[in-house]
Amino acid sequence: MNPFRLLALTCALLAAPAARCAEQLNLFAWSEYVPQKVIAGFTKETGIRVNYETYASGEEMLSKLLIGGAAYDLVQPPDYIAEAMIKNKLLRPLDRSKLKNLGNLAPEFLGLPHDPEQKFTVPYLTGTVGIVVNTEKVKEPIRGYRDVFQPKFKNRIVVVNDNREIVSWALVTLGLDQNALTPANLATVRPLVAEWIKLVKVFDSDSPKTPLLNGDVDLGVVWSGEAARLIQENKKFSYVLPAEGAHPYVDLLAIPTTAKNVAAAHRFLDYVLRADVSKLISDEFPYTNPNAAARKLLSPEQRANPASYPQLEKFNTFRDIGKAAAGVDKLVTDLKSAK
Amino acid sequence: MRVCDLAVCGGGVTGSCRNMSLSSPSVFRTVLRSWTAAVLVFLYLPILVLVAYSFNASRLNIRWVGFTWKWYGELWSHAPLMEAAKNSVIIAAITTVLSVVLGTLGAWLLHRHRFRGAAAIRVLVGVPIMMPEIIMGVSLLVLFSALAVPLGFTTVIIAHVTFCFPFVLLAVRARLAGLDPALEEAALDLGATPLRAFWLVIVPALRPGIVAGALLAFTLSLDEVIVTYFTASPGSATLPLRIFGMAKVGLNPMLNALSAIFVVATIAIVIFSERLKRFSR
Amino acid sequence: MRAADTSAQRRPGWAAWLLLTPLLVWLLAFVVAPAAILVAYSFAERDELGRVGFGFSLENYGRIADATYVAVFARSVGYAAITTAICAVLGYPVAWCLARASENWRHRLLLLVMIPFWTSFLIRTYAWITILKSEGLLNGLLLWLHAIATPLELLYTPTAVIVGLVYAYLPFMILPIYGSAEKLDPALIEAAHDLGCGPWRTFAQIVVPLTLPGFYAGVLMVFVPAIGMFAITDLMGGARVPMIGNVIQDQFVGQARDKPFGAALAVVFMLLFVAVYWLLQRRAAEREPA
Repeated sequence: MNPFRLLALTCALLAAPAARCAEQLNLFAWSEYVPQKVIAGFTKETGIRVNYETYASGEEMLSKLLIGGAAYDLVQPPDYIAEAMIKNKLLRPLDRSKLKNLGNLAPEFLGLPHDPEQKFTVPYLTGTVGIVVNTEKVKEPIRGYRDVFQPKFKNRIVVVNDNREIVSWALVTLGLDQNALTPANLATVRPLVAEWIKLVKVFDSDSPKTPLLNGDVDLGVVWSGEAARLIQENKKFSYVLPAEGAHPYVDLLAIPTTAKNVAAAHRFLDYVLRADVSKLISDEFPYTNPNAAARKLLSPEQRANPASYPQLEKFNTFRDIGKAAAGVDKLVTDLKSAK
Repeated sequence: MRVCDLAVCGGGVTGSCRNMSLSSPSVFRTVLRSWTAAVLVFLYLPILVLVAYSFNASRLNIRWVGFTWKWYGELWSHAPLMEAAKNSVIIAAITTVLSVVLGTLGAWLLHRHRFRGAAAIRVLVGVPIMMPEIIMGVSLLVLFSALAVPLGFTTVIIAHVTFCFPFVLLAVRARLAGLDPALEEAALDLGATPLRAFWLVIVPALRPGIVAGALLAFTLSLDEVIVTYFTASPGSATLPLRIFGMAKVGLNPMLNALSAIFVVATIAIVIFSERLKRFSR
Repeated sequence: MRAADTSAQRRPGWAAWLLLTPLLVWLLAFVVAPAAILVAYSFAERDELGRVGFGFSLENYGRIADATYVAVFARSVGYAAITTAICAVLGYPVAWCLARASENWRHRLLLLVMIPFWTSFLIRTYAWITILKSEGLLNGLLLWLHAIATPLELLYTPTAVIVGLVYAYLPFMILPIYGSAEKLDPALIEAAHDLGCGPWRTFAQIVVPLTLPGFYAGVLMVFVPAIGMFAITDLMGGARVPMIGNVIQDQFVGQARDKPFGAALAVVFMLLFVAVYWLLQRRAAEREPA
């Protein structure tokens, strides 16, 4: 097979060792959540090469970290995973004297229940889960989950493919605490979740905006960043925080106890806290930026995007629920299966 | 389609098909070729679409907006993507070579020899094919971390070979079934050592099976995500890992551009190597 | 070694054992060991965080018998079976056509079949979404031809899932059949023709039976992985119905964080496979005495 021999030759040439910098930083973060510009800028300024490895869910990161794969210097857990990691002593306390730009963060994103003393984590980006409406197709007002999950919208809805999310919406709709995932509460919400699941056309956590843009569905309960992109693309989309109670979340940066290059990790943290750098992140990912100094640098249009900067009353995040998650998973699998 | 349906009926219903014009070998050949062409159209339909959309000016790539080259330019300056592409090709190539050696030898020895436990080995070979990727990924990571093997190219290649070589073995074994044993005997009678007989007689006879297995192994390795995730280090991320990440934010036309380049480059390499072959003759 | 008997199948000499060693070592290290870890996990217990601890419990196996998971498993097998059948029908003629092509064309065609699969699975799937969505290319074409009055609902349906699965696995059916068909002696085909057998009958009664080993290999390569596949059902089916792959994935890297239960599911899944495979092997061995 000549093509293969040629291919092998090409590979041998490509395999020539790449130039290695002296210092390296292993960053383990959400896929495509740290802009290439930011990484390149950090390397240019400090000479530290960044190895950016990605994962698709906080649990995926936790799995690999727990088994003990490669040593990571920085990880990017969501709030409730960070809480579990702190509880289990998987994160290293930060040296705040090395984080001069910490003051740039808005106070409402600090001291949240997952890290009350802000000892271990630094907020990166935050967001909400809310409702997107294609106002060209849906004329009546949509205010909350009850308005979305109506029989007449059957097969016109996309929601994030996240079992805990959909159960928490049902909990708040029934006036229960979104973090109280007890067997009794799960039994209470079961009929409501069952009804809702029957109405949904697409479950997609990765790119829920796609079926909305494609015109396959007209309503969605999605991450605010996805909604913000939809609004950027077309003004016919509007974003609504559910009247029953919105779920905000924070994605954080933290240093695992197994980190090797702690000094570089701190330098990177301080670098992304800088207003001009944080602005670059907002330019690419229109989530809510917790960096108050960076927000001032944003364009009026960016700041006016209702999905990026909604009016939020309570900052009620998800808490670590430990083993209760298994029950949530079983419930949703069961209901989806019965469909 | 219609011609084909009719023809099938003609052959099937009458049983004896000597006098039916539809059953003449040339009609059969035409139907077979059209069928193959139709299947190839099916296989290339999404490829054509993704190449076309790599020139779409819209970033979200939902509707056709206008023609642009800019994604190709952006791709060129996206260092991690290019590096991941390079990693992928290296890993797939090495995996293919190792899988072919392991799979071909294994298939031949299992076919040639009878011993206790051969049946168990045959079943074990099937296990990686059916093991869910996530299970293989996690258990290999547990294994590597227990043995303190640092993650990197080696671990990714080991993992890839593990789920690729059974495909080679199966393809070769299917080819071996019913292979004339006289072939090897003749070679041995002519004074060849068993190894020479294997190399000079058996391998050429198995070639189509080996080629099929190698293509399957290369393809599998090139596009695997989950096992790779668990066995890769930050420095050895492959292209599918990166692409899965990037598609989170919605499909980027840059990724279409990358795929388009890949397809065109592969076809170019094939044509080039054929020219080379003809030239060297 | 030279003195070894040359009957069709013989006991391996030391050289054969030496050659078998890499395979045996590989199987032990990277197939048996992970499988053993998996079995150990399935009896273990986990902590709040999802770490697997020591302990022994059969609870995980008890949970599998739940109707929910049995239904999920049955659905996954059903989709895989339909996919395998369609792949066989589509692929057999292609494999035969490839095997009959001239030497020059054979390799070219073979590569032509594989090249689409050297692009990322995700990008290919998104291309299918572009084709099948309600404002997509296929609906556009049909509307333009006045074949339909309103767009068909194609995406996020079981049909879309099957299209995606067949697309992903078709080459895994074509290639092994090709490998098997290529060696068929052309003289055999000619003899069949001379005996008055038309090409259709020759294909059905001579080609297909003689290429069954390739077909079986193809079934193994399509059916078995397709059972565990969930990425395509998620993207093209809208993730509305869970597959066994989803459930296992959820336990390991999803919110459930219950590796022991995931491991138990996988162990049962694999035992079923091993049992079926073992039976097929034995039947095959009985049918063709050495």
